[in-house]
Amino acid sequence: MNKTFVALATLTACAVAGPLAAQSINAEDQALLSQIQTDKRAIVLKGLQLTDSESAAFIPIYDEYEAERKQLADRTIALLDKFAANYDSMTDDAARGILKDWVSLEDSRLDLTKKYAKRFEKVLSAPKVLRFVQIENKLDTAVEMEAVRIVPLAKP
Amino acid sequence: MKFLALALILAATTPFVAGAQETGLTDEQILLKRVMEDKRSVYAASLALSDPESRAFWPIYDEYEAKVKTLDDRFLNLVNHFAAEYDTLSDAEAADMLKEKMDIEKERMALKQSYTRRIAKAIPPKKALRYAQVETRIENIVRRDVYSLIPLAH
Repeated sequence: MNKTFVALATLTACAVAGPLAAQSINAEDQALLSQIQTDKRAIVLKGLQLTDSESAAFIPIYDEYEAERKQLADRTIALLDKFAANYDSMTDDAARGILKDWVSLEDSRLDLTKKYAKRFEKVLSAPKVLRFVQIENKLDTAVEMEAVRIVPLAKP
Repeated sequence: MKFLALALILAATTPFVAGAQETGLTDEQILLKRVMEDKRSVYAASLALSDPESRAFWPIYDEYEAKVKTLDDRFLNLVNHFAAEYDTLSDAEAADMLKEKMDIEKERMALKQSYTRRIAKAIPPKKALRYAQVETRIENIVRRDVYSLIPLAH
């Protein structure tokens, strides 16, 4: 299989999750990811319209949240690598394993959002946390749409 | 706010909703409605199921879609509540809405995972993986369109 999609999907999947480990992608992609990450932070902060005191409370927690999302990005890379490695001769066991990992990853993503929404509720008003989740959902959907568009469907 | 349009598009993208009105929908929304109505044929074409596989797959798929419909109804209620309270949303209301949204997402994910596992036992796992990929693509299209219609909380 053409491995280009792996790099592209990895790049896209990780765009909201922080810079990747250096060994995963080249320096050019690393720079691009850093830029995308910086842009995402700016979009979130602009969208939330926080006061100075709200920003001071929110940003440290947000940075922790993004650091945890990076761990999920690493798992996404491993999953994409597994899919790519098995793509041309996918066995039933490999397909089951990929499905299992995928399910686990989706669970972890939702659990992480729930966990941090609760933490954000302690430092922001509930409407602002709701707004944060709305912004995250929009960004995640845009990124995931691009990622799944790049990754080919498993051969039937 | 475009909540009426949102309600229509949610109705249009929900399986088993009879006679969803097209009046007032944009071309894109009408197109999306038709795409969703054709979801079954998308799967039929994409999965290339044999006759025995079809007999095993479709009853599970239909059961899954019927259960998803109840979650779609809850989400529609939530959006209507959000619309009604939008200009005067209190902390308590926003917290309740956030919890309900998370609960719906958790239940939707659990349902999807449970049925994907069942499908993986009923048809070859490779085809189940392909099914999950197609389902995710369709979910993302619907999410993008629905989210674009819901204004951010104040």
